[in-house]
Amino acid sequence: MDSKELERLLQKYWACETSLEEEQMLRDYFRTNSPTDATRDAAAMFAYFDVQRNRQLQDSAIEDKAVGVAKKKVRPFNRFINGSMRIAAGIAVLAVAVWFVRNEIRESTPQEMIDTYSDPELAFEETKRALMIISKGFSTAEQQARKLDLFNEAQQKVRNSVTDEKEANTEL
Amino acid sequence: MDLKAFQTNVLPLKSKLFRFALRMLGNSDEAKDVVQEVFTRVWTKGKAMEEVHNWEAWCMRVVHNLSIDRIRLNNRQHSVPLSEGLNIVNNAPSPHDRTELVESMRQVSEIMATLPLKQQQVLHLRDVEGYSYKEICDVLDLDMNQVKVYLFRARNALREKLIRMNAYGL
Repeated sequence: MDSKELERLLQKYWACETSLEEEQMLRDYFRTNSPTDATRDAAAMFAYFDVQRNRQLQDSAIEDKAVGVAKKKVRPFNRFINGSMRIAAGIAVLAVAVWFVRNEIRESTPQEMIDTYSDPELAFEETKRALMIISKGFSTAEQQARKLDLFNEAQQKVRNSVTDEKEANTEL
Repeated sequence: MDLKAFQTNVLPLKSKLFRFALRMLGNSDEAKDVVQEVFTRVWTKGKAMEEVHNWEAWCMRVVHNLSIDRIRLNNRQHSVPLSEGLNIVNNAPSPHDRTELVESMRQVSEIMATLPLKQQQVLHLRDVEGYSYKEICDVLDLDMNQVKVYLFRARNALREKLIRMNAYGL
């Protein structure tokens, strides 16, 4: 790179108009050429950036620890347990939510609306069953009433015979 | 993401992540902690990492966020040790030039530490790591114009202070 080209690139660099490729050319230039008085400031900056770029983190413990954590977490059994726990928790939450919603609906619905039937056939069957219960009750009551009638008739007959006997004795 | 992808794509980024964390925190141990935390987060993210377009930029962004959290938590100014890496100069042609260059680099390091944090970050990502403007936008969550303004100010502040130091010893 000649001095004119270098000057042109540096002008672009200070104006932040250089591409990454042009900045790489400048880096390469300052890496292999001694700076002149005119380029001393830029040379110092590029040298500093070069040094920074070459700093490596030698501590392998970071990698070892990261891989250790990764291997620990990748165990299939742990993954299965985690998955199952998530599903179980989801089902539990859903069940509780359904229970609460059902309760809420029941509380907000009038009592007469509860236990009614939307299917006409079921409603008919249920009505029939209720009427049968009532009818059965009626027939039981009728039987009891007949027994009472019989008892009353017997009582009346006894009273009448006693009265007749008293009258007969009086005439004698 | 499987273990192999983690080992081949993420772990090799450790030096870049470390350099960026060190630039922000100025403390080697804290920078290492941040790198460790980034690795853990990447692994924990699991399959969701496959949706990330640029893993390197994503990791750098996490470094940025974690470092900012630490700076806020400790309520302190970031600072970079002045002696960092200044003994690694092998390319200078002569001992005299080498000494002069080391002195200039020490000056650059001092000036860098006085720049606002955002300018330091942008300058580091562009001139040290060689990131494109788009990648810098992604890492720092800035728009293109902001990145260019920060870079322009950082480069020119560095240059002017260097010239002033060399001319007047200020």
